[in-house]
Amino acid sequence: MAPPLRARLAASPALAGALGVALLLLAWEVAARLLWRDPATLPAPSEAVLVALRLLTPGEIAMHVLISLGRILAGFTLAAVAGITLGVLCGRVAAVERLLRPFVEAFRPVPPLAWIPIAIVWFGLGEASKVFVIFLGAFFPIWTSAWRGAALVPQVLLDSARSMEVRGPALLLRVVLPAALPDIAVGLRVALGLSFGVLVAAELIAAERGMGRLVMQARELGQMGVAIFAIFLIGIVSLLADQQLSAIIRRSVGRWRPV
Amino acid sequence: MNARHALPPLALLAALLLGWEAAAAAGWLTPIRFPPPSRLATSFRELALEGFPFGAFLSTHVVATLRRVLAGYLIAVALAVPLGLLIGASPLLDRMASPVVAFGRSIATLSLLPLALVWFGTEEAPKVFLIGFGCFWVMLSNVIAAIKLVDPVLLRAARSMDTPPRDIFLRVMLPAALPRIAAGARMALGMGFVVIVGAEMIGTSIGLGALIMEARTFYRSDITMVGMACIGAIGFALTALLGLLEVRLMPWRRGRQT
Repeated sequence: MAPPLRARLAASPALAGALGVALLLLAWEVAARLLWRDPATLPAPSEAVLVALRLLTPGEIAMHVLISLGRILAGFTLAAVAGITLGVLCGRVAAVERLLRPFVEAFRPVPPLAWIPIAIVWFGLGEASKVFVIFLGAFFPIWTSAWRGAALVPQVLLDSARSMEVRGPALLLRVVLPAALPDIAVGLRVALGLSFGVLVAAELIAAERGMGRLVMQARELGQMGVAIFAIFLIGIVSLLADQQLSAIIRRSVGRWRPV
Repeated sequence: MNARHALPPLALLAALLLGWEAAAAAGWLTPIRFPPPSRLATSFRELALEGFPFGAFLSTHVVATLRRVLAGYLIAVALAVPLGLLIGASPLLDRMASPVVAFGRSIATLSLLPLALVWFGTEEAPKVFLIGFGCFWVMLSNVIAAIKLVDPVLLRAARSMDTPPRDIFLRVMLPAALPRIAAGARMALGMGFVVIVGAEMIGTSIGLGALIMEARTFYRSDITMVGMACIGAIGFALTALLGLLEVRLMPWRRGRQT
């Protein structure tokens, strides 16, 4: 006799997760088709996917995804380089910290989306303003984590490096940065998630292509199914990007410290 | 920070402001792109005393934004805390919910804008919904994690003393999980302020987010900058307030970092 469902679910987290997702989708499907019965306000998930695939070609969908990913990659990479550099410097060099920290702390509470109008005035409606807003969204968590990681590097490591005449930039690059990487990794993941949230808003306001534009276009044409499809598309792409990043982190940082 | 250490950043700030003002006066910086500090001060006074757009005072914008953020935030916390406690305390439920929670956090809140409009119209409800949605997933995942990360030694010790399950939950689990729940509450509030600016893009000219966006259509980047400073200051103040509240409500945590 097969073991009871409960025991099998306890043995396999993946099975339990799949069951949870399936139950939720089923509940939505039933509610939309039997109770609500108005696809214009609440389409069933199956309807949403079918409508979207009828109205959009796979090539179009891929194009929107790639355009958005390109913007994320540009803004996120710039933020990672700037955030890690400034964060590590602030964490280890007291003069830099005293000079820069008040400024970074002053700008941090300003929501990234509030920069959109200024970004448009400064950089126009093109790619640069979107990349700039994504950069701002991603920069602060990376800066904070790099600063904290660099400030909390164990004194033993620093002392032994100094006893071997490792100083200045070499100390930062070869001792402090690797020691701070586990903290930085956490900041990078938070920042990537924020990048996606900010991206959509930037694309809602002014963009001809991209996943956020897809949502807005669906709204203008009154296609609720396509809108729901696009919302899920953004969520899935964001989830996959996060998994990819954490796999990279596990491969690199995980070698010397469990992450 | 003592006086000697405060000097370099203050000097840098003064130099930046003076340079900006001078560059604007000399015509090197266009006022629409970089309105000089003196202009921002006048704009702040205009916003506070005469109002913008069309006589909406700064206080009106602040009250509208605060009301929306707090309404969405409180609804989200009220839903997420009991649900999170339930999920965190049941390993089976936790396994079933974990992909749903991970996906919920990955959804870009503002992509729900079209749904919010169709479901809730263009008044206050869609804005509160979007803020609530953003806060909810942050709060939920933090509450679940807080319960799961309670030290099992505490639970085993309580069980070994024949503590009834109700007391284990109320008197062992909950106090041990509270600091992480509080940290989650702070993060969720931060999320509310991220979402509000986007949420106020719909059907309103009242609210700091709306003000920031509206000002662009009037070519008033000075007003945008004043609005940004205000929303930043409010977000900062509320987070600090929540931190103080935490210290008051959980005196046993005093002096420790969460």
